Amino acid sequence: MEEQISEQTVKVKKAVSQDLLGGRIDLLLGWEKGHYWWQSRPLFARSEKDLERLVWDSFCAVNLSRYLQDELKENKKIGVLVKGCDARAFNRLLQDRIVERERVILYGLPCPGMLDYARLTEEGGSDLEGIIEQDGTVILQTKEENKEMPREELLLARCRNCMHPDPVVYDQMLFTPLGDRERPEHFKAVEELERLSADERYTYWEKELSRCLRCYACRQVCPYCSCLECFVEQKSPRWQGRAYQPSENFMFHLVRAYHGTGRCIDCGECERVCPVGIPLMELNRKLIKDINELYGHYEAGLDPEQEPPLLTYRPDDPAAFSEK
Amino acid sequence: MKKLLLKEKWPELWALLAHEGPLYLPVEEGSVVLYQLWQEGVKVNLEAVNSTVSPKDIFLPREETYLRYSCQGEMLDLEDVESDEPIIAFALHPCDLKAIEMIDRVFLNQDPPDALYKKRRENTTVVALACRQPDPYCFCGVFGIDPTDAPGADVMAYLTEKGLLLEEQTAKGKILLEKAAPLLEVEADETNITVDVKTQDFGLQVEGLPEDLQERFNDPVWDDLFRSCLGCGICTYVCPTCYCFDVEDYGHEEGGERFRCWDSCMFGHFTQMAGGHNPRPSRKERVRQRFMHKLCYYPETYGEIACVGCGRCLRSCPVNLDIVQAIKALGGEKVG
Repeated sequence: MEEQISEQTVKVKKAVSQDLLGGRIDLLLGWEKGHYWWQSRPLFARSEKDLERLVWDSFCAVNLSRYLQDELKENKKIGVLVKGCDARAFNRLLQDRIVERERVILYGLPCPGMLDYARLTEEGGSDLEGIIEQDGTVILQTKEENKEMPREELLLARCRNCMHPDPVVYDQMLFTPLGDRERPEHFKAVEELERLSADERYTYWEKELSRCLRCYACRQVCPYCSCLECFVEQKSPRWQGRAYQPSENFMFHLVRAYHGTGRCIDCGECERVCPVGIPLMELNRKLIKDINELYGHYEAGLDPEQEPPLLTYRPDDPAAFSEK
Repeated sequence: MKKLLLKEKWPELWALLAHEGPLYLPVEEGSVVLYQLWQEGVKVNLEAVNSTVSPKDIFLPREETYLRYSCQGEMLDLEDVESDEPIIAFALHPCDLKAIEMIDRVFLNQDPPDALYKKRRENTTVVALACRQPDPYCFCGVFGIDPTDAPGADVMAYLTEKGLLLEEQTAKGKILLEKAAPLLEVEADETNITVDVKTQDFGLQVEGLPEDLQERFNDPVWDDLFRSCLGCGICTYVCPTCYCFDVEDYGHEEGGERFRCWDSCMFGHFTQMAGGHNPRPSRKERVRQRFMHKLCYYPETYGEIACVGCGRCLRSCPVNLDIVQAIKALGGEKVG
């Protein structure tokens, strides 16, 4: 896998360098290595020298589409490397009129899922020195011995739940698509919460949200949070107070989740970036599940032509609130 | 002389100390370790090197009430909220304590000093815990911090095979150990207390950097460094040396409180002025502010860089735009 991945990096570089150096795009959004082998961070490449640092490996979790909103102000045309989730995020931005399709070149990367360093050290111990990937397995290298694990078990939680690893929108697909996946446990955590009483659920969320620092990282990475001014910052009327109170934590997370209802593309970036491990996708997935049950199966971000259920009206839409 | 507290007696000590007043210690909740109030049943984790969020909130809480008010007709009643409760901060690592020393200068070295902070600081007995093994993110050595020694602590603690070795460093520490005396062993076990905790240095060389940066407000580095920044507040909130706050009111006409709460220079509204002007209109100015504050402005005023190498921004920044990347981009690297 290691070998194969670096071969893939070479291929990615080759594909984008023609466009960047040929002037078809002004900026290429990709990834480069951070300080550690388990971190790949965003790369903003403008030159051949920048492209030398480009990498496509098992740690390219950051969704680069999110940068388009700002970068398109300064660049005429931008190239972006997109995984399955990133492509759906792009569709979200497209549907919300945040980006113009013709100003972006998308390079599609069928994604086998990104590895989770927390999972790696959980299995390999804190003195984990590195990994070797081969054919769906990962060899964890520690000082004493090596341990072999199925790759699937070491993925980020968001990737373990991913159904669409292939980009649904692209200009150029760089590798052979991997095909959609079944995820029978997709709503498992939501179903478990649904079985609790309202009071038990309240207690659960009060505890989980009590760790919230209100750093707003969940909002900042979110492809559905593209409002130029968030309700959190609005001064008049004042919706969101800053007190460290359960009511304020609920206010932020519930309003945000409702704003994303039918628009959340299920990428799980919010959960990945949360520094205090709040299971935010349980909120988002509950709403995805409700939308499916009320308005029929809908997956946001798959097709930009298909309007989100709450943004359209059909005479036969259920009126769940008035019926009860 | 060091005294041993056997592992099996830890919960007894915590119960004893918590009886005296609020006891903060590193508590594990899933993948997260936070300094929280001890209560029966919490999972204390003394092996964790660096908590997810720094323990600065023991001294500078995320939210702290200044005063409470109540109104009846034309009568306004203000209630003071100062508390004399003795607080115990348990198992703070040397880097975090060094960071508290840095925040002390800001809140205490002024006239008048910040009353709430001062009271809280004076009321707190600090038990520092020497590090045994660095986290992959640790780089305190770059700033000359000894991870096995915390001069500012009241009690110094060392983890050993058998338990926790405790040694008083101040009068406050002596009182604390006297309270704990019935639980302590006479014989001290000194095995394994000195261990190799050399942290990595990423090839950083920070000497002279603050002086160098004084002329680099308009350096081209700032035109690119900020690009990956998402504009969230993670770095400032997990950081042990960030201390900015805001003051707000909570309540209604009949009653409520005025409180201060953490704020972050990474937020657009941090510098929003009445009338709409914002002197730091984009992420570029905000990212520059944060790193200049750590690497230039703070050292200009207080003589040392406001980073202790705890590595929390390296661990938690979702896009790895951390202080090491900033120092490197600014040329703070060893030559050759």
